[in-house]
Amino acid sequence: MSRAVLVVDDDQFIRKLVATTLEDVSEFDLHEASDGVEALKVAQGTQPAIVFLDVDMPRMDGIDACRRMRADPLTSDATIVMLTAAHGDQTERLAEEAGADLFLTKPFSPLDLLRLVDRLGDGA
Amino acid sequence: MELGGKTELTHEIAELAQEIERLRAELARSEREAADNALQLERYAADLRETFKEERARSQELTRSYMATVRALSNAVEARDAYTGKHAERVAAYGIEVARALGVARPDAPEIEFGFLLHDIGKVAIPDAILYKPGALTREERELMARHPTIGADIIRGIEFLQGAAKVVRSHHERWDGTGYPDGLRGEEIPIAARVFAVADVFDALTTDRPYRPALTLHEARRMIVLGSGSQFDPSVVRAFNSIDDETFLRITEEIR
Repeated sequence: MSRAVLVVDDDQFIRKLVATTLEDVSEFDLHEASDGVEALKVAQGTQPAIVFLDVDMPRMDGIDACRRMRADPLTSDATIVMLTAAHGDQTERLAEEAGADLFLTKPFSPLDLLRLVDRLGDGA
Repeated sequence: MELGGKTELTHEIAELAQEIERLRAELARSEREAADNALQLERYAADLRETFKEERARSQELTRSYMATVRALSNAVEARDAYTGKHAERVAAYGIEVARALGVARPDAPEIEFGFLLHDIGKVAIPDAILYKPGALTREERELMARHPTIGADIIRGIEFLQGAAKVVRSHHERWDGTGYPDGLRGEEIPIAARVFAVADVFDALTTDRPYRPALTLHEARRMIVLGSGSQFDPSVVRAFNSIDDETFLRITEEIR
């Protein structure tokens, strides 16, 4: 089982925040990407156990990236957690159809983030 | 020529307007992002606050558990001793007052109280026949009896939160002039909590009824303590003890009986 976590967000602030929150509390190696295209490339290389995926991103959005990860045997096993805005009912439906497993609503609770990674880490 | 210049100007103005529009949109976007990030930080702050509160409550719960455990141990030791009653609890209460008057850092630190409550825990290893012997002890019996501070310190050696207390347990029969036991420590070699303990312990013994004599009055007990200053007791501890008013001592005596 892979021990990598991939954080995908075009906002560097969010990437940094998530990475700092998860640093040292789990055995996962952290990787970052700033859009869907880069996410696919990094995901193929690291085959992450967990992907945190922002929705609105330039070049390729999170929904599209999620669908493509699901379709690729190298990345299809990942637990995909969509980072969604609070007002995104429609987004959640689209993300589910694209194969997302879980949702973390922005602004997300860091404790929820930690518990989630802890839970998924135990199962690994 | 004039017309062409005007067209060019119009064109430039249109381009500028477009550029302004683009910059406005970008500004609006980064303002939204900044606002989102501020909300995200607030969420972190809220989680941090909640985590801190939980942590604090847990730590207080832990301290209460420690205290209850130590009290139970102390009661177990005292249950054997019919006439001292709540001796250890009163000594702890007197001792905390003396430590406070002395200006010892954090006079209510549980380490001090734990040590006072458990000072005689080593007596569990002393047979009843010696502990309650009516007459004088033989030399062997005295030697065994004198081992209770080291036995007590050994009993709690493995308990990390009682390592401060272990010092009091081991050194509670040392004397300022160096003639005490088990280590014959002198003056400030004796841990401060043990020096405070010595005064509080004797004070409680003097102000409690014993089979062989009634309790001394507060005034008489104070005089006895002063007599021991510099020989049995640390003079600065005796001074701190004397600065405490009668009401404080009487309140403790009344409350813990």
